Amino acid sequence: MDKYNKFLAENVLTEDKVVTYRLLSRALQVHVNTAKQMLYDFHRSQNAKRPGAVHATYLVFGTKKDDDGPPAARNGGDVDVEMTSSAPEAEQPTTVVPTSTLSLVPEEQLEETLANYEEVTSIHVYSIGPHPTKDLALLVDAANEALSLDSSDYQKSLGPINNPRVRRRERQGPGLKAAAAATTAVNAPAKSAFPKTALAPASGKVKEEPKPAQSVQETAEKASSGPTRKAAPPSKRGAGSGIMQAFSKAATKQGQVKKAAESSQPAAPSGEESMQPLSDDGEDDEELPQPKPRSISGTKSKKQREEELRRMMEEEDEEDQASEEAETPLEEEPMEEDLPAPEPAKEQETEVVTSSSNGRRRGKRRVVRKKQIMDEQGYLVTIQEPGWESFSEDEPPPTTKPKTTSSAPAAQAGKPKKGGQKGGQGSIMSFFSKK
Amino acid sequence: MVTLDELADTSLLQKPSAEGFGLLERTASNYKSLDTFSLPKDRQYQQQFADIYFLRLTKIKPAVEEVASAAWEGTILGGETATKVDRVLDVRQGQLCWVAGTVYMDMPLKPSVLEDVSKDRWISAPTTVGHYYSENGGESIMLEDDSGRIRLVGAILKDYFLVTGCIIAVMGTENVNGEFEVIDLKFADLPPQPERWSLSKPSAADGASKKPKLKGEDVEMADVPAASRPSKKIALVSGLEFSGTDTSYAMELNLLLEFLLGEALDPSAQSELTHISRLIIAGNSIAKPSHDDATTTAAEKKPHKKYGYDSSSYNPLPSQLLDTFLSTLLPTLPITLLPGELDPANTSYPQQPIHPAMFPRSRSYTAAPVTAPEEAQQQQQQQKQPGWLDNVTNPWEGEVEGWRVLGTGGQNLDDICKYIDSDDRLGMMEAMCRWRCCAPTAPDTLWAYPFQEDEPFVMRECPHLYFVGCQPEFGTKVIEGPQGQMVRLILVPSFAATREIVLVDTETLDVSKVKITA
Repeated sequence: MDKYNKFLAENVLTEDKVVTYRLLSRALQVHVNTAKQMLYDFHRSQNAKRPGAVHATYLVFGTKKDDDGPPAARNGGDVDVEMTSSAPEAEQPTTVVPTSTLSLVPEEQLEETLANYEEVTSIHVYSIGPHPTKDLALLVDAANEALSLDSSDYQKSLGPINNPRVRRRERQGPGLKAAAAATTAVNAPAKSAFPKTALAPASGKVKEEPKPAQSVQETAEKASSGPTRKAAPPSKRGAGSGIMQAFSKAATKQGQVKKAAESSQPAAPSGEESMQPLSDDGEDDEELPQPKPRSISGTKSKKQREEELRRMMEEEDEEDQASEEAETPLEEEPMEEDLPAPEPAKEQETEVVTSSSNGRRRGKRRVVRKKQIMDEQGYLVTIQEPGWESFSEDEPPPTTKPKTTSSAPAAQAGKPKKGGQKGGQGSIMSFFSKK
Repeated sequence: MVTLDELADTSLLQKPSAEGFGLLERTASNYKSLDTFSLPKDRQYQQQFADIYFLRLTKIKPAVEEVASAAWEGTILGGETATKVDRVLDVRQGQLCWVAGTVYMDMPLKPSVLEDVSKDRWISAPTTVGHYYSENGGESIMLEDDSGRIRLVGAILKDYFLVTGCIIAVMGTENVNGEFEVIDLKFADLPPQPERWSLSKPSAADGASKKPKLKGEDVEMADVPAASRPSKKIALVSGLEFSGTDTSYAMELNLLLEFLLGEALDPSAQSELTHISRLIIAGNSIAKPSHDDATTTAAEKKPHKKYGYDSSSYNPLPSQLLDTFLSTLLPTLPITLLPGELDPANTSYPQQPIHPAMFPRSRSYTAAPVTAPEEAQQQQQQQKQPGWLDNVTNPWEGEVEGWRVLGTGGQNLDDICKYIDSDDRLGMMEAMCRWRCCAPTAPDTLWAYPFQEDEPFVMRECPHLYFVGCQPEFGTKVIEGPQGQMVRLILVPSFAATREIVLVDTETLDVSKVKITA
């Protein structure tokens, strides 16, 4: 019994706090009604020692004189009823609605409030505080404090009204904790999926195949065998370290993958250098097989884009290159999480090798092109459209890089070279800033 | 007049005694939610709205014609017998006849799509006008059906509430100006009313039938007799308007919570409160965002980086407060939550349930989400087991304690008020029932989903209790229909404005209210 005196003395007198019955009930784990009595007792005993030491607010419930019966109708509460015109047969005497009023009053106004009541069915101390309560809205904080102490089993033990029928549904999906675990778990597959998509076309493309049909089949095979081997190490490491892995991966993957690929597949090294950027920033690949229109559109869009982007993305330009590289995997990850499986499969089949002779293989591959057009309202709209791009590149066995081959069409050779030098994860921004 | 002395020995104004307080138990709520107004998940918005009018007319016209022919069949005026005319266009000049059709109000301030198109405005803004009628008149009332349209004139039109979309029958003659002089007019009047407990069973029988299904609840079935105590109540509240900025009624909201929880008050009052078996929140649980604070102007200067979305301008507090409110209350009280005009749901009628993702703490009380393949089988289960927190549509139809209940978040009535220069909201509610349409002004001025197959706003069955939320003040009355139907109409006041909640007795449908002042 003394516990509450101590608690209240500490909180109200020493710490200058307002304590509501709900807070007291939760803090001391007593029934709310007991807490109300405790507050009353403390208030009385303290004020007996020293008048005005603590101030209470009361919660009064009952029927008020003003709000009850005919006066309410006169005040306009229910007058509307009398004006019915559309259905005279339903005319009823004005319904008098019994109204109960719940008021929270500081002790200073308690007497005058009570005087307005016809009948009080319930009254108790709501809170006590060290100062007279001027603004009842300030009690909100005190009231909310009680809620923060709330626990799920509170209702059962201390809340006055219990409802045994309460139903909660069971979580069907993974819960919050499970979801958190899932995201870390997903990180790993996502990472392993990422190099897969980047490298899948690479390993396939550089393969020399005499017939298109066969090549498709074979590239698919190669691609699926290549990346899985390569992807294995990153996924293992990725499982351990969460999102940071994504950042380091971009850098480490290259060397590591190169090593692995070199030993296992002769095609991989050159493929990685030439193809990986292409598959990433496909915006400079074009769908027309003829070099001429391609180069025209290329230069035009190059100029345009440079200008527009400088205007539009000034802030992004300011960001340093390093962060760009780090950003890329981050941005792509969510997408990968959604469809890790179908994506690589799609990319594997996007190439048709038409001819392969004296060290060059030519063909078309499927790329996603970004096109920027100005719409009717003068807005620049970037649209992505899939298209076919012709390519011609080195045979895999000679390990010379594409840029060294002079026979390649200028534009064709130039582009992969740029990408290749830049590094594995060429983001779209680094493409523009280079030029 | 109560003085302090009289209360001196009230139980809670004394020293804490050793004896504890018993636990009280909340009465069971017998409840069934109907999905009359739920829309398909893959809804299209390509359709035309005309079908709504057509469907409504075909549904209500037979009833109107029945009423009209009962009243007017064989009526002889000036030596001429009134004859029924099937289509509006078949009305002949000078011939005494009666015809049924849809009312269309042409009003000076009413937003008009034709005007929008002619002025090349392609995005229709929400209307800002307080009302559509103009003080200087200039409005015309037409009657239309699928054949055509005729202008109605006559003094009698002034005696009735008329809005676009309601179905009426008029008797009269066409005059030389091509206008129809109305002598008398009729509505469909109240639809047939189902018996009480037509969809669910009273708790005793219900408990028995449920028993095999819910094994875990056997324990509580022991107290079924307690559920048959005379006066259960449901609490109706609307316009809680949890706000991130306006705290002027935060204390009242707190008191409301304590009141409904039963933590406030003394043991005898608390045992009264256990009879409140359900809370229905009729719209506007979240306040209108305030645009005038400094944070928004500051945010405008900042460049929008991601899709123009600036997270700093979003204030999550209102929905958090609502979530806390709900999750505190839910362990002891089941809640039905209707969206309202201000709530985070779709704007057009019928508003679909507020998504449970809005309530991270309360959502475990909602019904389990239904995935497409198991929809059919789950629907059956769901009807037996609505969510403990039942987030429903607006308008919403259901059966509570056997009574058929129809409730809305208030937009339907608010829109009707814009047509009629009157404050008689209860009268308009009554008119809606007599028109057999709970949202007649949809889709003309009340935005609505373009229904194709069904027109759910038509009242097929007469509710026992019809409430409209978010109203400026409280009001209630009982109306009666020609076949002895009785409907309790309630205007649920906005809590933020009036600090009032409504309690409905589930045996007598008597209404009382509780006012909270702080």
